[in-house]
Amino acid sequence: MTDPREQRDVEQVYQPAEDSHLLATTACERIRADDWVLDVGTGSGYVASIVQERTEATVLGTDVNPHACQQAHSHGVDVVRTDLIDGICGSFDVVLCNPPYLPTDPDEEWDDWMEYALSGGPTGRAVINDFLDALGSVLDPSGRAYLVASTLSDLDAVAERADENGCETTVVGEESVPFETLVVLEITTKH
Amino acid sequence: MKETLMDILCCPLDKEALELEVTQKEPNQTETEIIDGELVCTECGTEYPINDGIPNLLPPDMRE
Repeated sequence: MTDPREQRDVEQVYQPAEDSHLLATTACERIRADDWVLDVGTGSGYVASIVQERTEATVLGTDVNPHACQQAHSHGVDVVRTDLIDGICGSFDVVLCNPPYLPTDPDEEWDDWMEYALSGGPTGRAVINDFLDALGSVLDPSGRAYLVASTLSDLDAVAERADENGCETTVVGEESVPFETLVVLEITTKH
Repeated sequence: MKETLMDILCCPLDKEALELEVTQKEPNQTETEIIDGELVCTECGTEYPINDGIPNLLPPDMRE
C-alpha cells in the first residue's frame, strides 16, 4: 500500500519524464567530478541525483515548491527552497534547468504546485526568460548552463533572450516526442 | 543543509550575507549537517527558517 501522504506529495511534484532523462544524459556527459553544479527548479531531484551519482560532482538544488524540496532532499540532494536563484549568491561551474515551458492560456491555469511545474505562461517562456536574465549572477564566466526548451516555446526567441544577456546558445541534446521536439541548450558567456 | 552552504546563500530580498543560528545539528563524516535553525540577514534582519535540513529562503510574504 502506498502511503496516502506520499501519493499526495507525488501529485504535487513534477515526476521525471522525457525532458528529465534528456537533460540528465546530456549533462552527465559534460560534467566533471570537480564541478560545482546548481540545479534550478530541481523538482523530484531526479536529474540532480543522477548527476551526483554518475559524475561525483557536488550538486545543489533549488525549488520554490516545498513538496519538491522534501522529495529532492529524500533522494540525497542538498536543496534550498527559493524562487529560481533568489537566495543564491555563489559562482557555479555548471547550472542546470528543466523549466516549465508549455504555453498556457491564463484561463486554463490551475492554481497549484503542478501548475508552477508545467506552465510557462502565454508564450511558454515566462520562467525561461527569468532564468536567462538571472543566470549571469550564479554562472562562473567560464561555466556553462544546460537548459531544456521545446519547439512549442519558440527556440529562436529563447536564443535571442540569451543573446540579450550576453550569452550564446548551442543545441547539444535533442529528442522528438509527440507534438514537439525537446532540446538541451548549452549556454555560455560571450567573451 | 551542509554548513559550508553558508558561503553561497544570501538574503533573497537584498542579497546580503546571512548569519546562521543552529538549533539542531548532526556531525556527518565530512562536514556538519544543520537540521534545524535559522538564517538571519545581517543587513535587514529578516529571519529564514531551516526545517528538516532544508533552508527556506522565500521572503516572508511568499511563504504559505
